[in-house]
This record gives sequence, structure tokens and C-alpha cells, in this order.
Amino acid sequence: MAMSGFEGFEKRLELHFFGDDPVMMDNNLGLRLLDFESLEQVLNAVQCTVVSAVANQYFDAYVLSESSLFVYPTKIIIKTCGTTQLLKSIRPLIHYACNLGLTLCSCRYTRGSFIFPKAQPFPHTSFKEEVLYLEDTLPTNLCYRKASVMPSKITTHSWHVFTASDQSHIIPNDHDIYTIEVCMTELDRALARKFFLPPGDGSRSGDIAGKEMTKVTGISDINPRAMICDFAFDPCGYSMNGIHNDRYSTIHVTPEDGFSYASYECVGSIFDDDIEHFIGSLRKAVQVFRPATLSVSTTCASHEVWPRVAHALEPLGLKCRSCAADEFPAAGSIVFQTFTARRK
Amino acid sequence: MAAEDGQVIGCHTVDAWNEQLQRGNESKKLMVIDFAASWCGPCRVIAPFLAELARKFPEVIFLKVDVDELKTVAQDWAVEAMPTFMFLKEGTIVDKVVGARKEELQQAIAKHTTPAAATASA
Repeated sequence: MAMSGFEGFEKRLELHFFGDDPVMMDNNLGLRLLDFESLEQVLNAVQCTVVSAVANQYFDAYVLSESSLFVYPTKIIIKTCGTTQLLKSIRPLIHYACNLGLTLCSCRYTRGSFIFPKAQPFPHTSFKEEVLYLEDTLPTNLCYRKASVMPSKITTHSWHVFTASDQSHIIPNDHDIYTIEVCMTELDRALARKFFLPPGDGSRSGDIAGKEMTKVTGISDINPRAMICDFAFDPCGYSMNGIHNDRYSTIHVTPEDGFSYASYECVGSIFDDDIEHFIGSLRKAVQVFRPATLSVSTTCASHEVWPRVAHALEPLGLKCRSCAADEFPAAGSIVFQTFTARRK
Repeated sequence: MAAEDGQVIGCHTVDAWNEQLQRGNESKKLMVIDFAASWCGPCRVIAPFLAELARKFPEVIFLKVDVDELKTVAQDWAVEAMPTFMFLKEGTIVDKVVGARKEELQQAIAKHTTPAAATASA
């Protein structure tokens, strides 16, 4: 068997819940009342741990040993890389949410194409296996289901999507919210090196070195309004969550040569005053890594956001190679675009 | 006072807070103030570690403020994200750590309790 490197490509799960108890919903805490022991159990099932965390009045943001977790009153987003078993979080999450009077009403699972698919454990051995597991695990009230692999002209990048919804949440409630998921490969080598700890410098690993990386790499300039919670791994690798009001952004980096990878994800609203700010942030995030290849997946109920992606990236010398679109229950439309650097 | 050494002292009223603050300032000791909320998951994550630090550094005064209980205090101190740890010496903010960040918290305490480092950073 060929030697396997670290799998940078994340699996991402977004679960939405609803509650009937008006008292429960009034205090607007919901899932944020999950005690840490329950959360740890969920993360144990996935095989990762919390390394750093921060909160504001809207949500909790955790940096994990393998990526990130965001907990809102009725929404959980969990994103993990490596050989974690993300889908195993669903059953315990449904259980703990039920104890809080919350019922699952929609689910969205997305991921790119693994660099080392053979290294993935059950149920992530193939997309088919993942879909079978999801079909099996989700409660029957989530009866509107769709699975699709969105292709691109770059064989190493395709977008795997599964969504499910109950009767009343087929059209997303938060129809103005969009999510951008960027997957970057073949990072600029000089830039990727900035995500290695200096050799022999054990004293500065973790959150202190993470803070330095945020500054040195320009990640702190992507959205200066955001509060950043960051972490540097030993000997290399980096994760951060940015929080600003009810919005998050997140970056994860696997800088090793040969399988270098970085992801950038953010949420926004089409009602935001300055959609230009979105373009600027996306451009700055990609500039931090200058990848040879990247994919951008835009999830939104409307079609206002995705045409702006190419507008943001083309001035960086990136050319759009493919664009695929599809509609999904509970998610709206998902547009998957790939870009490669123009040859000089 | 001695009974409170090695513990995180919760301040539940503005009066109690002002009293602790004044005592702390007069003692010239380092004070670490944890601004937290009952609904904040990351605050629950860091709480046991903070209790451990309080035992480890008995010469430091650890205070805890619930931002809902003492809204005006949290506002005065411009606390937006949680947990926020303010480091105070003789009434002056000497450092600030935002988030449940174990290493950064521990290092900041070490920095401000080492006499040489404290002078250098002053």
C-alpha cells in the first residue's frame, strides 16, 4: 500500500433543529445548553477534541484537533479532516438535542474529493457508503433527500453533496444566508512554509504560535472586524475560526509538500450592505495561499452570490475551468466552480 | 482573605465586585478577571483549567464575573467575546486573553508573576 499523507479535505455536516417549547426557544439558547460532557461524547465518536474556543452572544466556535465546530441555538456545523468519522456524530447529536426539546429538521453533508480515499475509515470509504449510512441514520421525518456528485473538469476536484429535509423545511428558513466553501490544493511552497513551527521551538506550539501565524500570513487582514481564535499544530498545520456577530469564517491548513491543502469557509447574507466586502475577503483568503488549483462551492437560496466568485478570483490570475449547478432540498442551490492558475 | 487563596472568587453583585477590585488593587497583586456567561460553551470548557490555575498560583487573585449578572460591569470593560480574561495590576490593565486558550492564559499569568518580566513589560 502506498504511503498516505494527512488528508486535508474536510467533511462538513450542518444540522438544523426546531423546538416546539416556546420557553426553550424564547431564551434562544437551545443547543448552546449542551453540556461539555455531551459535546465531548459527540467528538469522541468522531475522534477529535477541542483545542481552543470562543463565543459571543450568538454562537459558540470551537477549534478542534481536526478542524472546527460551531454551535448556534438551533444549528450545528461540524467540519473535520484527516481520517475522522464525522457522520458518527449524527446519532449522539440527535439524542442530546432531543433531551433539550429539539428535533432535527434538515441535514446537509458536503465534501470535496479525498486525496487519500483509501485511508478513509467506515463510513467514509466511498460516497456511496456515506449516503447509505446517512439514509440509515437520519430519522424518517427527513423524507426529502438528495445525493449528488457535482463534477468538474479537474479530475481531482468534485463536490459530494447530500441533503435531507422534513416537509416544512425544504425551502431554507434563512434564505438570505449563503455559505462559501473553498478548497485549495498545490499551495505556493513559500507561503505554505509559514504554517510550519520553527524546528526545536516546542515552547510556542498551540495557541500562542497560532496567533503569530495569523499575523505573519496575513490571515488577520481577511476580515479585520472578526475576532479570531487560532491554533498551530506540531510540527505543522493551522486552524482558525473568525467570529463577527452571528457570522463565522474558518481556515484550515495542511501545508506539507505533495499534498498541501487549505480551506476557507465563510457565511454571509445577501442583505449585507457591502457584498464587495465578501469579494475582498475571498480574494485575500486565496492570496494567503496562492494555490495552483481551487474549487469554490456556493450554497444559497438565491443566485446572487456565485457569479461574483469568478469576479473575485480572476484578477488573481485564476481562470474558471468549470461550473456546475444543482438544487437541493433544505439547501437551495449549490454552485460548484473550479479554478486553476494561468500558466505564466 | 486567606480562605479565598487558591480559588476563583465569583462576584455576583456590583458591590461585591467593587470591593474585590479595590482590595485587589490595594494588595498590588496580579488580578485575573474571567468574564463568562452561563450559556457560553467555551466558558464551561475552560472553567476547570482556571480553577487549576488558581490553585497553582495562590499569589494571584482570580475573579469571575457573569456578564448577565453584572451587565454594566461587562459593558464598562467592553467585553464582547467570551471568555475574556483581563489582567489587572494596581488598577491598570496589563494584559487580555480572549477565548478558552489554555497556553496563552498560562503564559500570560507566568509573564506577569515573574518579577523581572513584569518590570520589563511595565
